[in-house]
Amino acid sequence: MNRRNLIRWCVLGIVSAVFAPSCSKKPDSKGKIGVTCMDLTNPFFKLIANVMQEEAAKHGYEIVALSGELDPAKQNNQLSDFVAQGYDAIFLNPVDSKAAGEGVKKAHEAGIPVFTYDVQVTDDKAKDLIVSHIGSDNYQGGRLAGESMMKVTGDKGRIAIITYPEVTSCILRVDGFKDYLKEHNSKLEIVTELSGKGNRSDGYSVATEILTAHGDIVGIFAINDPSGLGAYSAVLKAGKSKQVTIIAFDASPAGKQAVFERKLYDSPQQFPRKMAKGTVEAFVKYLNGEDVPKKNFIRCAHYYYEDSASDKSRVAEQW
Amino acid sequence: MTTKMFSDYGMVLVLIVLCIFFSLLTLNEQTLQDSDAIAGLIERITTEFRKSDIILTVGEVNKDSAPFAERLREELVEEGYDNTRVVVGIPRDLRLALDEIKGKGGRVTVIATSGDVPKWAVIERIGADYPEFSGCKVLAPASYMWPDFLKWSNLLAIVDRIVVIAVIAIGMTMVIITAGIDLSVGSLIALAAVISTLVMKKMGGLEASGSAVLVGFLVGTLSCGVIGGFGGFIVSRFKVAPFITTLGIMMMARGLAFMITGGFSIYQVPKTLPWLGQGRSLGVPNTVILLGVLYVAAHIFMTHTRLGRYIYAVGGNEEAARLSGVPVKWVIVFVYVISSLAAGLGGCIQASQLNTGTPSIGVMYELYVIAAVVVGGTSLSGGCGRILGTLIGAFIISVIQNGMNLLGIESYTQQIVLGAVILGAVLLDKVRSAGAVPAFLSRKNKALD
Repeated sequence: MNRRNLIRWCVLGIVSAVFAPSCSKKPDSKGKIGVTCMDLTNPFFKLIANVMQEEAAKHGYEIVALSGELDPAKQNNQLSDFVAQGYDAIFLNPVDSKAAGEGVKKAHEAGIPVFTYDVQVTDDKAKDLIVSHIGSDNYQGGRLAGESMMKVTGDKGRIAIITYPEVTSCILRVDGFKDYLKEHNSKLEIVTELSGKGNRSDGYSVATEILTAHGDIVGIFAINDPSGLGAYSAVLKAGKSKQVTIIAFDASPAGKQAVFERKLYDSPQQFPRKMAKGTVEAFVKYLNGEDVPKKNFIRCAHYYYEDSASDKSRVAEQW
Repeated sequence: MTTKMFSDYGMVLVLIVLCIFFSLLTLNEQTLQDSDAIAGLIERITTEFRKSDIILTVGEVNKDSAPFAERLREELVEEGYDNTRVVVGIPRDLRLALDEIKGKGGRVTVIATSGDVPKWAVIERIGADYPEFSGCKVLAPASYMWPDFLKWSNLLAIVDRIVVIAVIAIGMTMVIITAGIDLSVGSLIALAAVISTLVMKKMGGLEASGSAVLVGFLVGTLSCGVIGGFGGFIVSRFKVAPFITTLGIMMMARGLAFMITGGFSIYQVPKTLPWLGQGRSLGVPNTVILLGVLYVAAHIFMTHTRLGRYIYAVGGNEEAARLSGVPVKWVIVFVYVISSLAAGLGGCIQASQLNTGTPSIGVMYELYVIAAVVVGGTSLSGGCGRILGTLIGAFIISVIQNGMNLLGIESYTQQIVLGAVILGAVLLDKVRSAGAVPAFLSRKNKALD
């Protein structure tokens, strides 16, 4: 009997120890904003959450950032909890553009304004309930990648695209890339489009297969840095790093370093800090009764070796 | 008997302690928005202001402060304050109203409101942005302290988040009582959600009637049942370890769900789909009713029917059960079918809650379900366990998750805490079975009666 109680109290003790630091309320806080994103283990989203925290603090608001862990049901539960808690606003980066609609509707019914960032909600009913969206102009970024690809290959030869068709922003990048080539009557021939699932190991496997089937390609466009770097490993292993140029996307810390080491030729840059600041700004404007633009797209920029050489953020391993 | 009582009571105690714990930590200021609050504001206005003053009553769209503002205006007009205007909406609406009054040359004297409105930046900056309105007073009723955790809407959110896991845990309890395990349930959630919404899509999509939803749910749930029967057959006929059998099914079901949809969500679903997961009957959420009915039925089944006793017998001692005439193989097939049907139903509820069929849902759910069962006092070695204990276990997990979200604890920390609680519960289970001999005996008796 004693032992049983002992364990019970130990568990409660541990739980209390974990909670104790979090329950001290800041006296000057005006309220809380709930943030839920796709995946907080991804440094891109972690950085956005951190910058949001800093920016919101300037206006007296606290940020509660949760990770949807790539599970739409989990994210919807988090939205419900934000609603139950009566938060002042919700910043949402939907795991699933359609499924997040239910959570958005719930928040709207409870009178809580929802702002989306990076990925839009596309559910027919819910998309009009979003106060404001801010995200990268992925289509324009894809066009930049197309421009670089034409430049570096001298507009001749065969190329491959490593895609991630589950994610809207990645589809847009590929669309922009292809449209740019088409509009400029490019002679580049796209031999294949395969999914690298946006990560390094799948990017590596799929690039290996591409090189096996199409040994003569001169370029690969990968929709993000991890899959681009995976492709680089495959190209290196096949001994074709002179023949094949890789263009990725994001200019993440790892991508910047890779551009500097000339593993990647270009990685059109996204600006997560601007995204985070823009979201908080939209909320502040909303509170102040100003007219908040429904959509706000941040243009991407080229990121070449020349950019990386003088880039302090690369050395500091920052976005 | 008394030890058994104590072990049941112990888990309820943990749940109660958790609830008290989170209630204390989420104590928060809540604004009064009842008739007394209105009367209080009216009294202040009538004593301090003239009937010709321009008064704005402001409420937030879709919040309790909206009807509050409407009623406040009505009562003020009755009192003779004819220049009272109501603004219900977002901060933008208030600014537009202020601009309009300013344009007409009016001067707002009082803004009477409640809820979060006084925090709006437009109100805080009214002196700077509208010098004409200087001296404008913002009146709001007094606040009181009440835990966010114990708000009605939050209690419903706790049930909402756990309903899928709790439903599946019924089947899992039975499987674990037979000393088995079912790892496939998480994938079956996705498969059922995808199949059922696909059927609805084929039957007319957005325009389909309520019967399409019913047919979709039936097809989705039953196909999972068939898969469960297949798994149960392999376990009982070929003596393949349940862990491996259901692991294989888990992978196949997940792959199938992705294959059917090509990786995309199915959203062309009838308007009536959310009824099950989000609707209410007689003011009670349908999920709560469903959960209640299922648990009562399962409890009666396990305690008052022969098949229920067979399930305990198989888990207590399979050989002894076989020798005493229990159809062991059929009992095993049966529990896996039930477990898969429950997972299928869970998938339908999930699809209804999300209003989409998404192949990526339910990842890791099998572990949450197993955790709920074990925390609820069912032993992984089989032979003992209680359906209602599982319900308590599910609620403990839900309350912890909800409470941590309310407190804004980081996702990583949440996982650590949840893991620690599950580990603690299993330890408790071990200590109970090793340390308390009477409990051990009473368990065996249960298996053989």
